[in-house]
Amino acid sequence: MTQHTEQDTPVIELRHVDKHFGDLHVLRDINLSVARGEVLVVIGPSGSGKSTMCRTINRLETIDSGEVLIEGVPLPEEGRELAAMRAELGMVFQSFNLFAHKTILENVTLGPIEVLGQDRASAEKTARELLARVGVAEQADKVPAQLSGGQQQRVAIARSLAMRPKAMMFDEPTSALDPEMINEVLDVMVELARGGMTMVVVTHEMGFARRVADRVVFMADGRIVEEGTPDEFFDHPKTDRAREFLDSIKGH
Amino acid sequence: MSARNNRASIRDALYEAPGPRTRRRMHVATAVSAVLVLMGIAAIVRQFYVTGQLAPRYWSFLTRPTTWAFLLQGFRGTVSVALVAGAIALVLGLLLMLGRMSSIRALSAACRGVIDFFRGVPSLLLIYFFFLVVPQYGIKLSSFWMITLPVALAASGVLAEVLRAGVNAVPAGQVEAARSIGMRPAQIMRTVILPQAVHFVIPSLISQLVVVVKDTTVAYVVSYPDLMQNARVLITNYDALVSMYLTVALVYILLNYAINKLSGIVARRMGVTIVR
Repeated sequence: MTQHTEQDTPVIELRHVDKHFGDLHVLRDINLSVARGEVLVVIGPSGSGKSTMCRTINRLETIDSGEVLIEGVPLPEEGRELAAMRAELGMVFQSFNLFAHKTILENVTLGPIEVLGQDRASAEKTARELLARVGVAEQADKVPAQLSGGQQQRVAIARSLAMRPKAMMFDEPTSALDPEMINEVLDVMVELARGGMTMVVVTHEMGFARRVADRVVFMADGRIVEEGTPDEFFDHPKTDRAREFLDSIKGH
Repeated sequence: MSARNNRASIRDALYEAPGPRTRRRMHVATAVSAVLVLMGIAAIVRQFYVTGQLAPRYWSFLTRPTTWAFLLQGFRGTVSVALVAGAIALVLGLLLMLGRMSSIRALSAACRGVIDFFRGVPSLLLIYFFFLVVPQYGIKLSSFWMITLPVALAASGVLAEVLRAGVNAVPAGQVEAARSIGMRPAQIMRTVILPQAVHFVIPSLISQLVVVVKDTTVAYVVSYPDLMQNARVLITNYDALVSMYLTVALVYILLNYAINKLSGIVARRMGVTIVR
């Protein structure tokens, strides 16, 4: 691949993606592309399909039809190839999902050792650097249950970063957190965005969206209803659905 | 930690903190049941006395060192059968569980059949199979294996299901996280699911060892010298049924009590909270 195409090919692209949960049509003809270094924030009411869409990017959710492309390559459907592609995409979950039986350090080194084949010493060195970067270095030898939600989520981010991902998905990363811990996680995400990480962020944090997003995508009823820059979207929403949603979350 | 809180909340839901009237009632009930238990024990001892079971001739042989040497030999037999059978059952149970959970339909169905068979068939029947049927096909087994194998097989079915319950108790998010960093199914099973699953079911696994110990008592069928078999020999020798059975029962109770204590210690070491 030449330098030119590498610059132009979207890191993540969804083409005509459809998905049903039984009778429920959760994703309707989703078309989306995320450029290198872009921070895309996905917002919308609950049940709009935004989490599901986020999870189709590394096939934690399968799709019924359409295509998911990572750097122009169709996402493999199974096996070693799928696992290899997942290793290049970071994912941060609403409920952290740290490995409960492993220490914080082991949580971060497991992927590099098992998947990337790094030796323990260098994996631990990188892990400690990453833990320091997200501000939980002194927790390295504890187990997840001993950490606060905010700390756990920052470890989860470090765990993803340890795989040196091409892009990261954040599936409502602050929705399970106590209010006073939301900012410590958002701060780490802002740092990542500044560092040029390609990010897809499903969130209800409108302040974060406004400040950090390059582009906002608004979803409702399984569709992408509207997309634009944060200023366009928040100040001049084009659709009634978006206006309704923004009104409903305003004024508290 | 959260597990501890859970236990507390279960207790709280079952029993409110007692008020003054309840406390009084509890004191009375405790006293009454203590009296009833003591009366029961007294009745049993009296009955033994009346029927002459407490006569020294039924008990004196317990003072002889040869008696205890013989019992100790049986005890060793019991422990070795139980340990080997337990180990085999654990490995086999793990394999059966993995097969049962496989996405290959035929393998899963076959393992399910095997598990249900071993769980459903009484271990005595399996012992008779190894004792009476297997030798007819020219396969020579020592009496040790004639008792150990069937006991192991019977336990493996149960252990497979215990382990499966443990695997099912691992939250789906753990697997999703492992997938998201590119781990393959076998890696996920080995490094993420199994350690947590075993952790969850350690108390049940060790309780199952108690069942194995009790299963070994039918070793007399194949004339393997376990504790029970040797006790039977002593009973015939000294014509001391009640005293011998009481002694042996006590040994089994102590052994199984020790196993349960061990399970508690292991569980606490691993940070598991046992709800009793």
